[in-house]
This record gives sequence, structure tokens and C-alpha cells, in this order.
Amino acid sequence: MPPKSDLLQGTLDLMILRTLQRGPMHGWGISQRIQQLSEDVLQVNQGSLYPALHRLEQQGLIEAEWGSSENNRQAKFYQLTRDGRKHLADETRNWERISTAVARVIAG
Amino acid sequence: MLRPWRARLATLLRRKRFERELDAELQFHIDMLSSQNVANGMSPDDARRAALKAFGAVDAVKAHVRDTWLSRFFEVAAQDIRYGIRSLRRSPAFVLAVVGTMALGIGANTAVFSVVNGVLLRPLPYADGDHLVVLRQARPRAGIEDIGLSALDIDDYRHSRSIADVGEFHNMWFILLGRSEPERVSTEVVSANFFDVLGIRPLYGRTFVAADDRPGAPAVLVLSHAYWQRSFGADPGVIGRVFRMNDRPHTVIGVMPPLPDFPEPVDVYMPTSACPFRSLPAMATDRSMRMSGAIARIRPDVALTKAQADLQITAASLVRTYPQAYPTDGMTVTATPLKGELTRQARATLLILLATTVFVLLIVCASIANLLVARLVGREREMALRAALGAGRSRLIRQMLTESLLLAVAGGAAGLVLASFSMDALVAFAARLTPRAAETSLDVRVLGFAFGLTVLTGIVFGIVPALGTRRDASASLRDAGRSTERRHLVRSALIVAQVAVSFMLLIAAGLTLRSVVKLQDLDPGFRTNDILTMRIALNFTRYQDAQIRQFWQRFEHGLDALPGVIDAAGGGTFPLNSTGLFNTTFQMENHPLSPGEMPPRVDVHVSTPGYFRTIGQPLLRGRTFTTDDGAGDRQVVVINESMARHFWPGVDPIGKRISGDNRKTWATIVGVVQDARQQLATAPADQLYVPLSENRPMLTMNWLVHTSLPPAVMERQIKALMNTIDPEQPVEQFRTMDEVRGESLQAPRTAATLLGIFALLALTITAAGLAGVIAYWVNQRTQEFGVRMALGAPRKGVVGLVLRQGVQFVLIGLGIGLAGALVLTRWIASLLFEVQPTDALTFLAVSAVMVTVAMLACLIPARRAAAVDPIVALREL
Repeated sequence: MPPKSDLLQGTLDLMILRTLQRGPMHGWGISQRIQQLSEDVLQVNQGSLYPALHRLEQQGLIEAEWGSSENNRQAKFYQLTRDGRKHLADETRNWERISTAVARVIAG
Repeated sequence: MLRPWRARLATLLRRKRFERELDAELQFHIDMLSSQNVANGMSPDDARRAALKAFGAVDAVKAHVRDTWLSRFFEVAAQDIRYGIRSLRRSPAFVLAVVGTMALGIGANTAVFSVVNGVLLRPLPYADGDHLVVLRQARPRAGIEDIGLSALDIDDYRHSRSIADVGEFHNMWFILLGRSEPERVSTEVVSANFFDVLGIRPLYGRTFVAADDRPGAPAVLVLSHAYWQRSFGADPGVIGRVFRMNDRPHTVIGVMPPLPDFPEPVDVYMPTSACPFRSLPAMATDRSMRMSGAIARIRPDVALTKAQADLQITAASLVRTYPQAYPTDGMTVTATPLKGELTRQARATLLILLATTVFVLLIVCASIANLLVARLVGREREMALRAALGAGRSRLIRQMLTESLLLAVAGGAAGLVLASFSMDALVAFAARLTPRAAETSLDVRVLGFAFGLTVLTGIVFGIVPALGTRRDASASLRDAGRSTERRHLVRSALIVAQVAVSFMLLIAAGLTLRSVVKLQDLDPGFRTNDILTMRIALNFTRYQDAQIRQFWQRFEHGLDALPGVIDAAGGGTFPLNSTGLFNTTFQMENHPLSPGEMPPRVDVHVSTPGYFRTIGQPLLRGRTFTTDDGAGDRQVVVINESMARHFWPGVDPIGKRISGDNRKTWATIVGVVQDARQQLATAPADQLYVPLSENRPMLTMNWLVHTSLPPAVMERQIKALMNTIDPEQPVEQFRTMDEVRGESLQAPRTAATLLGIFALLALTITAAGLAGVIAYWVNQRTQEFGVRMALGAPRKGVVGLVLRQGVQFVLIGLGIGLAGALVLTRWIASLLFEVQPTDALTFLAVSAVMVTVAMLACLIPARRAAAVDPIVALREL
């Protein structure tokens, strides 16, 4: 079993999918982007990132292809599949609903 | 949903590639981290170290990634299984039919394979049994495979280059005293190293050491496992007990574990020093005293062919060094692997049976596939709906495969239970063919075989119906129920294949059955009813020379005087007995051998004068023996018809003389008797009968009594008679001649029975399948039949129409099966007796049976077709 991740699994999956919405990207890039976008609040642990990527690939939400990275090295690029896009849309709505609700309760 | 399945399967199948890619992917990440560190001003080495540190344990990350591969696989598989069980629960009759059929197929295969495994595949229960060979000295130019080995020969082979060690053995029957009754025991007289050569340890006590085998050493015994269980109730306390054998005390020092009956079934083992014959001084000095067999262990790194060549060198040097001790026409040594020796007879039969059960399994597969196709027709809408909801063709096929695997596993488990029940019967059967039969059990390999076969079967019968599904899901929803043409084609092909395979199995069963009937009806050339046989082996320490003759005379007179005895006679052996005749050379008086010519060979039977009358073997010319024939110098012989035909064609052999000792003494032929078979399945050989003579006393004789009394009554009388002659002398192996004949028929009969059972199984499954397919065909044409009958077609005509459809399948299947049978039956030639593998009668009869059964199977659906009410059928149109 994966170790206790810093982030809830579903949240990490959602962030990965969201990151990939901009286009194909390798694992390193995904972790950098999440860190950047969260303004260094969220540090993605590799021990959670790669299992999550492979799990999403198994589920058919993302697919992978080997390609050249910006510094001309072979890297594994992930991109959303049709299912992945649909899943992302659903989950984003879900997330918004829940986070709004949670925010209300806490503000309550 | 298609992709994840493929991704997971790919993960499992191409594990290596995935591992490599994962390595590359993580390495890339680490490299990026470290180049970021360099950009931040670290030295390359520090950057790398910092990157590795930041990344954490690479192996742990990899392990977690791998977990995602596996856990997803099992998760989805569990989903499929749950769905499969739910869907199967809705059709219990279908499940029962499939599991039952499958159980028969897997059960038959597992049972037969377990015997094949125990007998042919398992290593011998000796240490490194593949290096054990049986040594024999042969006289190839005289056609004798085994002339025996002397103790000196064996010693010389021990020094052959490729040989690690050689053990010596010979078998004797001795009488063991000290239990409640005198008991004759099969005694294996062995060299002290015998058990070490085989590499086996005792269950209790010890085996022999060199000191036990020295001349004059106290006599010791090791018991075989079977004898220990039979006669001592498996009591370990038997060690240390003392019994009298050959007028000496013998102490039990050990008990062996269960072993194959090698070299023959053994009760006790004794060292050569304790054997009254083997311990004679001449045995240690005279090379021509060849009374022993030998088992050799080849050195671990030496190949069999090399060892054989080296042994040959030793043999050649023996013949050169001691020419007077060996046959003048040359002597060679053969080394036969022990394993082949123990299993030779069983091999062909077991492999034939295994092939048969594989054919049965093919039929089972076809039959279940057919049931699945039929079920698929009923599930067409369900499948179409699922397809419309987005399930791809692969997903549907996967679901079907999961269901068939579930069915297969259930059937396989039931088959395993079936196999374990039939095991005892099979082992008893195999015991007639090989001493290794007792090693049969449901071990890991058999379980693995059953499991592998089950899964394979499940995949095969699951794939076939899946192939019949439409590629285009939406089309299948649009016209659900219309893809039946293709299904019908698949089902027809399956049923034709079943008919073909069943036909081949029936042919095999028919041919072996006919062989058994031929063997049963065979006239062996003598009377088999109303004859009681028995065996008496005298204790040579009590009877010598003249005493032996007197003993047999007293016994014969006693027998003649018993009430109910019509005739009685004794001899060396008798036809169909497991003890064979001995074989000798002879020369004809008027035909001196030309230089280099080999003297002819014949089988010799020694008997008392009453023998031919007792066994009812007709005299063709001349006379049989009289009581005077055995005495004095005037020697006479009786020959059989085939010897007469062979050596005196067109001439009356009566009065001709032959010599058995290189023209020193001559015996006159006084009679010719009709041929008698020594073995049922073997044509009679040239045979010579000599009277029991006072010059050649026999310690062991088999006696025959022609009597109309029940065997049990006769047996009591004979035992009482022996009690008055010598109370310490056992009379054994009371069997009627009919029983002896039955025993020699046992193996072919069992083989035929098994083949018959398998073939009937196949026929039943096929007939049921045919009925199912035709019933379905009728269902599809209910309206057509209604129209036909409404237009005036007679009901008989409709029945004919259906039957014609069924017969059509059968005829195509018969055609294919016929071609297959013509090719395949030659492989069972070893099971056949006086029946050609292409026996026309069998082929015709089996075809008739097949067509009849098929017609009967079609009759049920045909009658339903004829019962269609035209009005109802038309209204449904």
C-alpha cells in the first residue's frame, strides 16, 4: 500500500488531471507545475505522484507516450484521454460543490 | 473501458519492458531535479546527491507503482467474477450441465494422468534413479538376451571405467519356519552393497554391511515393506526376531520402505553368504556359474552410451582372457535403464489411454462451447444493451471468458473429486502392467495438471462462442436475435467435430473390444474348464535326488486315489502360467550342422505321463508318455504340431531322433500333439515335451487336476493329502484353469473397458449436444413447419426433414472421423489381437451405432416439430 500521502488521493488525481488539461506533460513537469501553481504550498511527493500517474493510466483516464523533453531527453509524456476529460469535468464539479459546502460549514 | 483492460494485461505480459520504462521515467525525474540544483549553483556531484536525497527511496516508489498495476488487476477481475456469479446463478440447469460435463472430462484426464505421472514421469524412488541400469550378458548370435552373470563377472564389471558400483541379485523361494505355518517366501539374494547401489535406506533397522556377506557370517534378513505389512501387521518389533530357513537361524535386521517390485515381488532379502546355492565354493571361482542378475550405477557425469561402450570393452576382455568360460559364439553385455525396464509394458497402454481422455476433453470442450453459444442466444439482448451502454467487444468477450473460467474451475474441482474416487480402480489396473503402479497419487504435479487443463479448457470453450459475436455493437442491438445464422454455423461446426471425435473413440473402443472377444473365444489348444492348478516347491534341504522322485510319486498316487479326480499330472509349468517354459537348442540326427550353423531352438516342457490327458491336449500321431519313459537310458520325446511341420515337413517325425547335448545322447520322437498356446495373445511356438525323468529331479512342480468337484472341495482334499505326506510342505497358488485364463485376459479387458467407458461418455455428450442443436434449429423454423403443414405436408415429412438435418451433421462428422480413425488407429495396434486397425466390421458397426444414436437424439426435437399446430404457428408469423 502507498504510504500516507500528503494529499488526499482523489485530490492529487484531480490536480494531475487538471495539470494535464493544458497539454501533454512528463512526471517532473507535473510536479513542478503543481508546486508552482500552488505557490509552493503543495509539495508533491514522488512516492505519491508516480503511483498516481500509473493508476490513472491503468484506469484509462490518461495515456502515456515517450517523447523528447525540452532538454532533448527521452521522457514519458502523459496526456488526458476522452474518459479522462469527462472524468475531470465531473470531478471538478464535484470538488467545487464539496469545497463550497465545506467552506460554508467552516464559515458557518 | 477497453483501454484499462488492455493496459493491465500488457503490464502483466510485458512486465520486463514496463520495469525498464519505469526506471527510465524515474531516472528522468532525478536528472531534472539534479540539473535544477546545478542551475541553483551546486556542483554536479552535490546536485546529484541532493536530488537523490530529495527524491527519496527509489525502490519504495517503484514498489508503490507496481502495487497500482496489481491491485487494479485484481480489483477489476473481482468485479468480473461477481458479475459472472450473479449471471450464472440465474441459470442453474445450464451451470449443472456445464459443470457436470466438465467434471467428467477433467476427472477422466486427471485420473489417467495421475497414473502416467506415477509410472512414467516421476523419478524412480531410488537415489538418482536415472543412473541405474540393468546389466545382462547376452549371446546375440544365438538370439539369447540373458545368459546370466557369475559372481566373478559382476566383480569385473565393478571395475569398468564408467561404473560406480554393481549390485548382485537372484531370486529363490525358500521356506520360512517360525510363524504359525511354514511359509514359502520370495527371497532376493543380494550382495551387501545392493541397497547402496540403489540408494535406498531402510524404514527400520539396517540393511546389509560387508560383514554380513562374508562366508560363514550369521544369517540375517531384511523384510520388504509388503511382506512386513502382510505377515507381521507392520510391527516394528519384528526386528531381532529369529526364523529358521534352510535349516539355519536367520535374524531380521531391517524393514524396507515401499519400493517397486524390482527385480520381482520380494518378501525377504538375504545376503549371498546365506544362500545355500550362492555360497557354494564353486560360485566364487567358476565363471560359468551364471546364476545372478546385476544392477549397476553409472558414474554421475557419464552418459549411458559411454557406459555401454566401456562395459562392452570389459566384456570383450573377459571373453579374450577366459575363452573356455564363455559361449563360443560370442558374448556381449547390455545395459538397460532401470526406468524403462520397470515401465516398458505400461507405456503404450497408458499413453493410449491419455490420448483417449484428451479426445474426451475435446468433446467436452465442444459440447460446453455449444451450450455457451446457445446461452448467448438467450442473452443477446442483454449483451446488446451492454454494448449500447459503451461496453466494447473486448469487454464483452472478457466477461464471457470470466464466466467460462468460473464454470471451468467449478467443473475442474468436481472432476478432481471424481478422479480421486476412480484412483483405486486405475491403480489396480496399472499394477498389471508395471511394478510402479503403487506410486500413483494426487501429487502437486497432478494437481497442477488438473488446474492447467481446467483453465485451458475454460479459455477454449469460452473463446469459441465469443468468436460468434458481432463486431459491431450497435448493429447487434438493431437486429438482436438475427445474428443467428453465424451462431448456427459455429454450433454446426462444433457438433460435427464432436461426432468426428466420438466416432474415432468408438472405433478405438470397438477394435479393442473385438480383440478381447477374440482372445476370449480363442481355442488355446487345451481344456480350461474343470482343471485345478497348484504349485509345490520342495524344501531342498529335506529332499534330495531319489527322495524328490519318491515324493512326487507318492503325491501323484495320492492324487489319483482322491475321490473326484479324473486325471492328475505334474509339470514344470502349464500353459498361460506366468512362469514360462525354458528354451533349449537341439540337433536332428540326420542333419549334422554345417560349420558356423547355429543349432535350432525350441521351448521345452517337462511333465508326468498323464499330462496330455489331464489338460486335454489332443494327440495327433504316435503315443504319449508311459510311466516307463522317464526311467533308464531310453529317452523319448513328444513334439508339437508346429515343430513337426517346421523340421520334418511332409515326413512322419515318429521314430526320428534328436539330441539336446551336442549329439552325445539321442532321444526318439514317439508322438506329435496339437499346438497349445503358452500365452493367449502369442501364436504357439515350436515345442518339445520330455517326461519327468529320474535323472532330472525337479524341486518345484506345478500340478493339474482334472476334476468335476468344486475347486474349494478339491483344494481341501489335496491339502489333507499333503498333510499325510509331509505336514511342513505347503501347497500353494490353487487356481482353476479358467481363473488362470481370466487373469491373463485381465489387462486387455481392463484397457478395453476403460476405452469403452470413455467412448460411451463421448457418445452420450455428443448425442445430447446434437439433440440440443437440432431442437434449436426446429425452434427457429416453427413457422416454416407450420406453413408446410398448412400447405398439406404430412407430419411424417416434417419428421423426415428434421432427421435429415441431423443425419447431415452426423454424416459429415462420420466422414471426418473415418479419415481420422484410419490414420490414428494404427497407434493402438499394440492393444489389438487378430484385429486389423482398419477392421471393416468394426468400422461398419460403429458407423451404424453412431447413426442410430444420432437419429434417436434427433427424434425428440423432430416429434416436437411435427407436433407444431399450423394455426398457432401461422398466427405467430
